[in-house]
Amino acid sequence: MTRGRQRLEPTFANLLLIVLEGAWSIVVGLSVTFINFWRKKVTDRYPHRDPNRNWQPRPGYRGDFALITDKETGKLRCIACQQCQKICPDQCILVVPEGKGKERHPTEFYIDAGLCMYCWLCVEVCPADAITMTPDYETATDNPRKLIRDLDYLRGGVVKASG
Amino acid sequence: MTTETRTRTEELTINMGPQHPSTHGVLRLVLTVDGERVVEVVPHIGYLHSSMEKIAEHLTYQQYLPYADRYDYLNAMGNELAYVMAVEKLLGIQPTPRCQYIRVMMAEMNRIASHLVYFGTLGNDVGAISVFLYCFREREALLDLFEAVSGQRMLYHYFRIGGLRNDLPDDFCDGLAQFLDYFPSRIDEYDRLLTKNRIFRSRMEGVGYLSPEDALSFGVTGPCVRGSGVDYDIRRADAYYIYPQLEFDVPVFAEGDAMARHLVRQEEMRQSVRILQQCVEKLPRGEVNVKVPRRIKPDPGETYARVESPRGELGCYLISDGTEKPYRLHWRAPSFHNMQAYPVMCKDAWIADMVAILGSIDIVLADIDR
Repeated sequence: MTRGRQRLEPTFANLLLIVLEGAWSIVVGLSVTFINFWRKKVTDRYPHRDPNRNWQPRPGYRGDFALITDKETGKLRCIACQQCQKICPDQCILVVPEGKGKERHPTEFYIDAGLCMYCWLCVEVCPADAITMTPDYETATDNPRKLIRDLDYLRGGVVKASG
Repeated sequence: MTTETRTRTEELTINMGPQHPSTHGVLRLVLTVDGERVVEVVPHIGYLHSSMEKIAEHLTYQQYLPYADRYDYLNAMGNELAYVMAVEKLLGIQPTPRCQYIRVMMAEMNRIASHLVYFGTLGNDVGAISVFLYCFREREALLDLFEAVSGQRMLYHYFRIGGLRNDLPDDFCDGLAQFLDYFPSRIDEYDRLLTKNRIFRSRMEGVGYLSPEDALSFGVTGPCVRGSGVDYDIRRADAYYIYPQLEFDVPVFAEGDAMARHLVRQEEMRQSVRILQQCVEKLPRGEVNVKVPRRIKPDPGETYARVESPRGELGCYLISDGTEKPYRLHWRAPSFHNMQAYPVMCKDAWIADMVAILGSIDIVLADIDR
């Protein structure tokens, strides 16, 4: 059976060649490392932020959720149509509506951030442009119950505890 | 010393994995070894099974799209591409020219990103850790571009049926062109650091031989089959979208060993840079989205769409029964088929070579188990 490329026979001359070549490879490899030694640093010391290099996600980043408040009326834009609840592939949204017609609004609005896969489908489907995702990515907690966002949180009234 | 004078040895069965760091996930290999020689390898898969195909059956066509990202997570854009191609085939939709260009660009960028992970992890496996750091630095630049486009760094959910989530941001092409300017010189650096390194070559040359006949009979595709001297690339063999208009070479190496597969991937990155440069130059203006109904209900029928993923032929088989949900979805996962050739490659190999061979197949366990 043909075996393609063969390994070198372990004769003395070949072994010497390998050792010399290996030594030269190390010199060449270290020269690459040396070049990179002087290149610009790309890492951040997270969470100890360097104020000169304050990294932020790009605009449009899909992070934590928020419901948008209408500036003129001061009320939530949400019309409780439950479209987001229907399209969510993970079924992590629960909207409890109240009222009819123009008065329709949510009394309860839950999003389980632990289930969510941040796919943006709810934002796309919303007819009132009421739900969105913020660039806030630091949502880790020690308690899964804290991941369930309720109406107060989504309104942006909750000030996040740091750490 | 001839074989007759050697001491009689006994075969030993040992487990490699499921937590072995070189298996890139949770893969269990049951080895039968004779001393340091491998006699038999039996891969046990399924530890990462997530019923990706069954999930599709109770979700609508749009809802399944974010799941397509999650199945081969290093090639999320490529999976989305295969899935939307399949659904659009069922619906009889042709995406706009600009959309086709952007989709091809995303797939090629993701190919580079995936090959960079391969480079890094392979270097890590065979003991060259600095390559890993450099590769991930370059990948970071690509992920930043993906983030600017889609809002996520890994599981993008950027393609939509009939178009895209949004058009490219204004500064995207400049950012990409900047990356393409310096990236080929970085590939040369990996070449000096890793590929031309005598120690690395000693680990890779002549190990894990796969003959072209075996490769074809196991259904091996992608860089693995091109490393065995078979010129087979879906981008050429069953060209989709704008690939016929683009100039690129399909690298083929005939040696069939781990080094050949490695060289194919290294050359593929250069070709992807070429493709991306042409795309940036030719990118047409215009609409990106085709109008599709809000409720997608394809006519009953079946379809198969395939794309060239970084690991090989990625196919999506869809059956529609005329409702909003697919009746059946099947992924033709390239890693799964490539993995089947692994016991053949490992025949008579040293235990130490197995890690290098496994690295040279470039498996993604989520892709194997689905």
